[in-house]
Amino acid sequence: MLKIENLTATVGEAEEAKQIINGLTLEVPAGEVHAIMGPNGAGKSTLSYVLTGRSGYEVTGGSVTLNGEDILSMEPEERAAKGMFLSFQYPVEIPGVPVMTFVRTAMNSQRKLRGEDEISAPDFIKKSREIAKQLKLDAEMLKRPVNVGFSGGEKKRLEIYQMMMLEPNFLILDETDSGLDIDALKTVAEGVNAMRSPERGMLVITHYQRLLDYIKPDKVHVLSAGRIIKTGGADLAHRLEAEGYEGVVGEAV
Amino acid sequence: MSTALRDLIANPNAAELELIARYGMLPEDARRERAFEAFAKGGLPHRRVEGWHWSDFKASLPVIETPAQPGTAQDPLPADDAVLFSFTPTGFTWAESLPEGIRVLAKPEAQAFGASEDMPLGALAAALAGGKTKPGTLMIEVTGQDLPRLHFRFSGAGEANFARVQIIVRPGAKLAVSESYLGGAGFTASLMEFSLQAGAECSRTVYQRTGKAEVLAATAAVQLDEGADYRQTTLAFGGKLTRLETRLTHQETGAKATLNAAYLCADGHHADITTEVRHGAPSCVTRQLTKGAVLDGGRGVYQGKFFVPRNVGQKTDADMQHNALLLEEGAEVFAKPELEIYADNVECAHGNTSGALDANQMFYMRQRGIAEEEARALLTEAFIAEALEEAGELEDVLRVQARAWLAR
Ligand SMILES: Nc1ncnc2c1ncn2[C@@H]1O[C@H](COP(=O)(O)OP(=O)(O)OP(=O)(O)O)[C@@H](O)[C@H]1O
Ligand SMILES: [Mg+2]
Repeated sequence: MLKIENLTATVGEAEEAKQIINGLTLEVPAGEVHAIMGPNGAGKSTLSYVLTGRSGYEVTGGSVTLNGEDILSMEPEERAAKGMFLSFQYPVEIPGVPVMTFVRTAMNSQRKLRGEDEISAPDFIKKSREIAKQLKLDAEMLKRPVNVGFSGGEKKRLEIYQMMMLEPNFLILDETDSGLDIDALKTVAEGVNAMRSPERGMLVITHYQRLLDYIKPDKVHVLSAGRIIKTGGADLAHRLEAEGYEGVVGEAV
Repeated sequence: MSTALRDLIANPNAAELELIARYGMLPEDARRERAFEAFAKGGLPHRRVEGWHWSDFKASLPVIETPAQPGTAQDPLPADDAVLFSFTPTGFTWAESLPEGIRVLAKPEAQAFGASEDMPLGALAAALAGGKTKPGTLMIEVTGQDLPRLHFRFSGAGEANFARVQIIVRPGAKLAVSESYLGGAGFTASLMEFSLQAGAECSRTVYQRTGKAEVLAATAAVQLDEGADYRQTTLAFGGKLTRLETRLTHQETGAKATLNAAYLCADGHHADITTEVRHGAPSCVTRQLTKGAVLDGGRGVYQGKFFVPRNVGQKTDADMQHNALLLEEGAEVFAKPELEIYADNVECAHGNTSGALDANQMFYMRQRGIAEEEARALLTEAFIAEALEEAGELEDVLRVQARAWLAR
């Protein structure tokens, strides 16, 4: 499904450009959930931005394909229409644009790019109601401007709401667990698990194994200094939690 | 043309000569003469004149001629339930059947214009309004409350369109006014005067959209008596050069003014929003919010001034905000917010920002699948929306117009 090969990428403009991704190789087959763990500053968020096409993040080598298609040459919105979704580590506030307007615009833009019909207003509202209920989101919240005045945990839940509304086929969750209280973590994880399917892949970036107790990963990768330095099964997260990166990887990271 | 007339303006360009000629054809009238002299002293204002540095009428108006490609003159402001007054380069029409509470007098003569020195293009409108088919001064007296909106439309192809309207809102009366400046004439100059007497209310909505060839100066002079409430909302798209100027005086205690505006300038469009508010009485309130968004080759000008004299301006409460978005490289915005405050017991604040769209917001929206142009339009609409919120029943119409411009 998602195939990253020997990827190198820099962050920043011209002379200031700094190589952050250093020959990263990773494959997430359809139907699997892979976790990425790694110390602060390792390049986890950078990888998520490179995959989704943020400007200022320049790929200098390697390749990324989604279902065999090169995505690196696509605009961010084209990648989104192909099914790439990033749940942001720090969701962005959009003053003046209500959540419902925003998500409906996004959904219809994606559909347009894929040559599909727009969703009807009643269908959209019905779907939104169901998902909001699952995520225990207050309907009033969806009338407010995107993320404006939302608490940290509310913002994360809103990311998952958007994800469930848009039904992407490749999900990147960048520290979606941070800022969530214990109950919210469970609710969010249930939402994510509901999205698991044989056609979908997921990359779950986290610092804590707790999220992975709810969202069981097929594989766990350790990302350090812009490369995957170790890969293991779900138990690797537990070992990292107990022994730290140095203990598991056998060197300081 | 007599040499005496010709000498009224030093080094006139062809446009100024044409204005002198038009003046010469109007019947003699001492007030008209005073107004024209006030204009003629400096001629068309140019960049070396204070307050006109960024909006040079002399340079933008070398001649007065009918535009080869006038802007589309569709008026989006509904007039069905309003009382419509229509000014074209060659004529003037109005409903003539009026509800009780509104009296209209189309006077052939000019009326005195006290502040003519400060508003040269307002003085010009006062001097050149009139002739065979148009009133020298359209006087309107309002005494009622539940009245239909008065709608003034300035449109129609031709060389020049001049108009002058005086509106008096009597104590306790309530009025809604709207104006559409739709271009068509190479040069349009209007002078709208509003006098709100004690406890009167007036909301004014100004819509301006012309082609790239039109030059426009719409000047408003507003005076507020005790406890009067004046609300103004402007949506301007600019033209070759357009200036929407408002000079407002709080002349008695406790008056309140809201002066909001949004400007959206595409390539080849220049929109100037200029205001001056004088707090000539204690305990008056002014709220001013101006928002702009400009594309490559477009130019926005904002000049705002609050003047609070020492003895009379105590307990003034005034706030001025201007925020502009430079949507593309090559977009220009010039802003000059000024607070001139001599009274000590006042609350006056101002803010002024200009910058590009937020890259984080843009990426977030695009990551969700919203195409770049659409993301930009959504963010821009959200950005300017607040400036249109006071337009009452016309807010939606203005929003739709702004959205359509953004969607291009
Ligand atoms: N615009 C930038 N200019 C220069 N350096 C940058 C820029 N953006 C990120 N970096 C650097 O790139 C490195 C990787 O950052 P990134 O945000 O990807 O880390 P991370 O693995 O997500 O860390 P965390 O666990 O703290 O979220 C950091 O050293 C960071 O300072
Ligand atoms: Mg990060």
